[in-house]
Amino acid sequence: MMRRHLMAAVVAAAALGGVPSPATAQAMAVAIVVHPATDVDDLSFSELKRIFRGERQFWDDGRRVTLLVRAPVAEERQLVLDRIYEMDEDQFREYWIGKMFRAEVAAGPKLVYSADMARDLVTVIPGAITFVPLSEVSADTKIVRIDGLLPTDAGYALR
Amino acid sequence: MSRTTMRSPLLGLLLLISVQGVAGQTPQAQAPFLQAFLFGDALFMLQDAAGPDGFKLGQMVAHGNASLSERVVFFGEISISARASGYVLAMERAIVRYEFNDRFKLSGGRYHTPISYWNTEYHHGLWLQGSVARPEAIKFGSRYIPVHFVGAMLEGNLQAAPIHYSVGIGNGRTESLAGAGDAGDVNGNRAFVASASVRPRDLFGFRVGGAVYVDRISSGGVEFADEVITSAHVVWDRGRVDASAEFIHVSHEEILSGASGGSPSFYVHVGYRLTGAARYFTPYARYENMDIDEGDAVFATVLSDYEAYVVGLRYDFDSLAALKAEYRNERIASGSRTDAYVVQASFAVPVAGGN
Repeated sequence: MMRRHLMAAVVAAAALGGVPSPATAQAMAVAIVVHPATDVDDLSFSELKRIFRGERQFWDDGRRVTLLVRAPVAEERQLVLDRIYEMDEDQFREYWIGKMFRAEVAAGPKLVYSADMARDLVTVIPGAITFVPLSEVSADTKIVRIDGLLPTDAGYALR
Repeated sequence: MSRTTMRSPLLGLLLLISVQGVAGQTPQAQAPFLQAFLFGDALFMLQDAAGPDGFKLGQMVAHGNASLSERVVFFGEISISARASGYVLAMERAIVRYEFNDRFKLSGGRYHTPISYWNTEYHHGLWLQGSVARPEAIKFGSRYIPVHFVGAMLEGNLQAAPIHYSVGIGNGRTESLAGAGDAGDVNGNRAFVASASVRPRDLFGFRVGGAVYVDRISSGGVEFADEVITSAHVVWDRGRVDASAEFIHVSHEEILSGASGGSPSFYVHVGYRLTGAARYFTPYARYENMDIDEGDAVFATVLSDYEAYVVGLRYDFDSLAALKAEYRNERIASGSRTDAYVVQASFAVPVAGGN
């Protein structure tokens, strides 16, 4: 409960542009958001990469991970491709086609076409995980810390 | 897949114009869900060696992934190949898998045998692989290794270490050596395969691994020889570099005489994607060598030594289509070296669908 209040406070402050942190003064920060029932509050950046690359496909509670990824052009997608996938668009496309063709995953990431869509779907699809700009995060979304850091913290990996 | 599409790779290429999406689909439903791909290729070849050259259609391949439920998935791969006598339709892979979690995934069906990295990395999608053709030792229809495997498999990723494993039991080869025992085992001895690869989490793109395969070969309805295949590979496939090296050793021991023989093979393949304005070009080179033991009664009459130097240039003229121009210098057995020049167009068409 305390964690949720913390999230709400961070989100509200960010949305109002009043977070006294480097987040708003610097480049866009991207928040990792999961379905509210997903039993995870903190992920290492290494583990986050494994999840988004389809190398880890199940949460600890046994539920399947559902990846929601913004369609091309979005700034946050570019940041995720750079930092998490370490690929350009062509490599990203080939990567997922290859994974599906090799039967390593049942399906590729599901595309979302706006931050609103990502935010809405992640709250209704059990096991879903996505990324949205911190400025687009709403109070009812569950943000996951990366290496113990929130998007507003200095040293956060996705900024 | 229509015959029209089969006969016209250009039509297939034109289809790419309408392809807009990345691998992905709109999140409408969780399951069941079907996602399909088409792969195709066509080539023009000139060669010194005997055999037909000129224009050739390669394979048209349809691949589908279906999530039947949250834990049950199906993978299917069907190919249509051009032959001198017409087109041949083949079920390449058909796998039904129950996924308990990341560590345990149990499946049954028809696989590409995880005895070789290349065999399980590229399957029939030539657009995905860096060169025009597979290495000789791993080519489809090869008698050197059993490319296909009919049986059951347990696979997964260990949690404590970055290791992927698979173990399987299946029918093993048919007497022709090239078949996979689709209609049942030709003898009472099942084939076993086990493979493992290390994929360091902080070294994305790198993997090193190996496999072992054990079976009993029959000939003329009689159990003839025990077969043991071992392999090892090392791969770097990230960023601009696509490099892989693989070693395979096939040994046989005749049951009656006890005579044994071993036939090693290896290849080293390196590709480098250029930068800047030339970033769509990937020059590549490969050396491959297969040394067949003349004293091996299983291989002596059906396989020969093989050596090849391959150099080529891949041009990704579209995000889902590529042209590859390749030169091969080959030697089969103790014959003279021959040259071949090949230009191949290959493509992939993701087809998203839902229930």
